[in-house]
Amino acid sequence: MGLFDFFKKKETESTYDVSNITVLDLQVGFIFEYDLSTWEVQEASQYDWGDDYFTSEYKISDGNRVLFLSVEDDDELFLSLTEKVKVRVLGEDIPEYIAKNEKAPSKITYNGKDYFLESENPGYFNELGSEEWAELISWDYEDKAGEDILCIERWGDFEFEAAVGKNIEEYEISNILPNKN
Amino acid sequence: MGLFSRIFKVGQAEANSVVDKLENPIKLAEQGIRDLKKDLDNSLQALAEVKAAAIRSKRDLETSKNQSQNYEAKAIQLVQKAERGEVSVEDADRLATEVLARKESVDQDVVRNQRDTEMFDKNIRQLDANVMKLRSAITKYENELKTLKARASVSAATKKLNKSLSNVDSSGTISMLERMKEKVDQDEALAEAYGDIAGQPSSLDDEIDSVLGSSPNGSDALAALKAKMKK
Repeated sequence: MGLFDFFKKKETESTYDVSNITVLDLQVGFIFEYDLSTWEVQEASQYDWGDDYFTSEYKISDGNRVLFLSVEDDDELFLSLTEKVKVRVLGEDIPEYIAKNEKAPSKITYNGKDYFLESENPGYFNELGSEEWAELISWDYEDKAGEDILCIERWGDFEFEAAVGKNIEEYEISNILPNKN
Repeated sequence: MGLFSRIFKVGQAEANSVVDKLENPIKLAEQGIRDLKKDLDNSLQALAEVKAAAIRSKRDLETSKNQSQNYEAKAIQLVQKAERGEVSVEDADRLATEVLARKESVDQDVVRNQRDTEMFDKNIRQLDANVMKLRSAITKYENELKTLKARASVSAATKKLNKSLSNVDSSGTISMLERMKEKVDQDEALAEAYGDIAGQPSSLDDEIDSVLGSSPNGSDALAALKAKMKK
């Protein structure tokens, strides 16, 4: 280290510990390994459920598939990976049922598996980098074992999105690489 | 060596001596580890970029392979339609040739994407190896730093203890104690001398008092003598 290194322009500090990067450090451009594939974080967004309760969501791709990784840090870490599906795949009349009853069905059967309604969460959604927040209601379902999950979101009066996936453990995501670009 | 060179050398030596004194091995080791971590960060980012490029290359490869298969299927369908007489052979051949030309172009993309994917995979393996070396070096030096800190702590404590011991002036204390002992001896001798002096009569009265003092009360003894003489 030379004396004049001191006067060099300081680089911006990292927000992560380079020798221990965790899922809580994920940002757009970060790379990680999951299920023997390499995944790139393409988009980052967050849900605000009120009472300082947030969920971070990352759109990830391995080149073939696009999945959504949700990260909740509520005393302990909850991770889930989901794939978008058409809401009518879950039930032909689900949008009408919700519009009529102002609530989602208590049980949904998809691909031969029963999913039970766990919670109804009104909240706001924001794409990181954007100032806009969109209002939504989310209905979260789990199978009996609590491993597989299903989610229906209602945006506005008659706009629905659905996702199916599973809860995962933090150790399943490994070799996280940063990318400031 | 000229005068100025010598003066410069002296200055240099003094400056180095001051810098040597300022160097704290723990802080310098910590800074070294921070520098290594910065290198690791840069390497990880380079690796992330290559992996991201590999993901895109893999996606492009799949896309171009699908396009190639799609063009081939279309060419086959055109030939089959001509065979069934649904389109003229000339039209079918012309269109099939066009489709196959496009397929050939896409096949070149497949080859290029395949080559890129293999190149990225090779780069990833090399970068992975470098990153592993850096990680291992950081872990090693972090562990050594812990040992270094413990050694420095023990060394500082030992130094402090030795300094305290070296500051104790044992000879001074012993001579002081000897002096005190002598002083007490002198005091005792003086007291004895005073006692001797106090024991000797200093005047005639003292002498008479001393003679008479053999009896506890002089006047009582005289009265007893006079009483005896009257008998």
